[in-house]
Amino acid sequence: MANGASTAPGGPGLSFPPETFAKLSPGPFLHAHLKQQDPVRANGRSPEQFRKPTINTGSLTHSNGSAVVRVGDTAIVCGVRAEILLASDIPQPPKDDVETDDLVEDLGLLVPNLELSTGCSPAHLPGNAPGTLAQSLSYRILSLLNSSNLISPSDLSIQYAEPEAEEDQPTDEFKTVTKAYWTLYIDILCIALDGNAFDAAWAAVLAALQNTSLPMAWWDPDREAIFCSPLASEAHKLQLNGLPISSTFAVFSTASPLKRREDVESWILADPDGFEEDLCRETLTVVVATERSEQNPGGIIRLEKTGGAVIDRKLMQRCVRMAKNRCSDWDSALRGC
Amino acid sequence: MGPDISHHPLAGADGSATISSNLYSVLAAVNGPIEVQRRDELPEEAAIEVNIRPASGVGGPRERWLESVVTAVLRSVLLVHMHPRTLIQVTLQLTTGPTLKLKNATRDISVLPSLVNAAFLALVDGGLPLQSTVTAVLLAVSGEEVISIDPAEKELAGCKSVHALAYTQHGDLLLNESAGNFNLEVWEEVADRAEKACVAAVALASEDDEMANGTAEAAPWLRRELEEKARDAVAWRDHT
Repeated sequence: MANGASTAPGGPGLSFPPETFAKLSPGPFLHAHLKQQDPVRANGRSPEQFRKPTINTGSLTHSNGSAVVRVGDTAIVCGVRAEILLASDIPQPPKDDVETDDLVEDLGLLVPNLELSTGCSPAHLPGNAPGTLAQSLSYRILSLLNSSNLISPSDLSIQYAEPEAEEDQPTDEFKTVTKAYWTLYIDILCIALDGNAFDAAWAAVLAALQNTSLPMAWWDPDREAIFCSPLASEAHKLQLNGLPISSTFAVFSTASPLKRREDVESWILADPDGFEEDLCRETLTVVVATERSEQNPGGIIRLEKTGGAVIDRKLMQRCVRMAKNRCSDWDSALRGC
Repeated sequence: MGPDISHHPLAGADGSATISSNLYSVLAAVNGPIEVQRRDELPEEAAIEVNIRPASGVGGPRERWLESVVTAVLRSVLLVHMHPRTLIQVTLQLTTGPTLKLKNATRDISVLPSLVNAAFLALVDGGLPLQSTVTAVLLAVSGEEVISIDPAEKELAGCKSVHALAYTQHGDLLLNESAGNFNLEVWEEVADRAEKACVAAVALASEDDEMANGTAEAAPWLRRELEEKARDAVAWRDHT
């Protein structure tokens, strides 16, 4: 165990409780845990052990979809609100016969926003403008939502069969025209942060989108407006294309330019908590497409590694393998909600 | 063979450089070590601040994300312990970008190598203490699993996955941003080619290289630029 927690009999001994040691010298505290024969982390987990997630959905009554995700002491709430974007309000509307996957990205139909200034941790006091971390996380979620093609444009289109003829003539010819789009405002609030906000936030977005139901909407040609049905029986749920799962790893390393390369010790910590995140500079996020994905079953959608030089090709393979094994935890949690 | 580089274009900054590739042109300026705000001060190392300005408009969350990535890379390159309680400020101004329409993820990742390379050249120009070199490279994998280094705009527009990697002169991986649809085998091949290109950019030219292949990949463009810069710096001795 960490040295110094000894009970010396007689005389003023130097003995602190472990919590005091963790506060005074967090780096050596974690190092002492990890360099044992059987490495263990300060939170009791093994280096490759993730925290078990729990998901609850549908708790926000005024959202079209919502989810609360808890991973250890990190808790994130996500609410999805759908608003209508009229095609006539779009400055350069897309052609009707071409409905590419890029439509969701081009029109900005998914608008995520992650809020950290909620008092979720001592580092994030409530009421401040979003800092670099919050903006970065919001952008990463937006980027992943668009590049994974999670929602196809057809799910968000409100279409109308326009008769292809003069005003009063009856006709059998109809042209399908998209009159409006659903825009989903995805608000992610971090209510408690104990490390690894990204994985929990991404899972909250997935769960909330799975839970989202859009009312039946149609274009009324006489009143020239979109009408929605209030009946829950006529609402339809969103179809998600696959469920990509994100896993984040941190690297705790004793490397420094003042040390020889051979003397450096490093450990990969899966799903870092707040204490470990403060001590680790290098992080890796792996986003894996599950077997259910049509485009890339079992493949990788995203790799993000910065902050250090410890993770090389071999360690990357190991982390990808760990990320793939993690999918089953999230899959069962997401399916159960 | 290698991007277009000009040294010390700005007289007012401690270090500056411009780098122009087939996709992006970046003007980088470095100031440091300079005075740091009390709240950003670190007791045992220099704080690093990166500011990224897009070619048009003001920066938003996208630029904040790019800044956090570049800051993390530069922290492994600079000797931050040499100047504790100071600030090293890097400003990266994008001047030109690709004209074709690209997916946002492709656009975001394709700019990273130019930013990292420009920042490094500016740091060298500014004479800041560095623990290693860093060279970043962009790769695109097409639908037919063909990997191209420093792809043209057209290849980027139709690619299945895009990868930005940065390595030191020893082959340590400092940055890896990959997006698209790929798997571990494809990534390993990408990483292999990227490592060869990055290490070759700074490698000592040996006789084997001259005879083996004169491909653009094997050209030590960064070493040649830095050697030329060092030679110019001491040229005054020969004139006196």
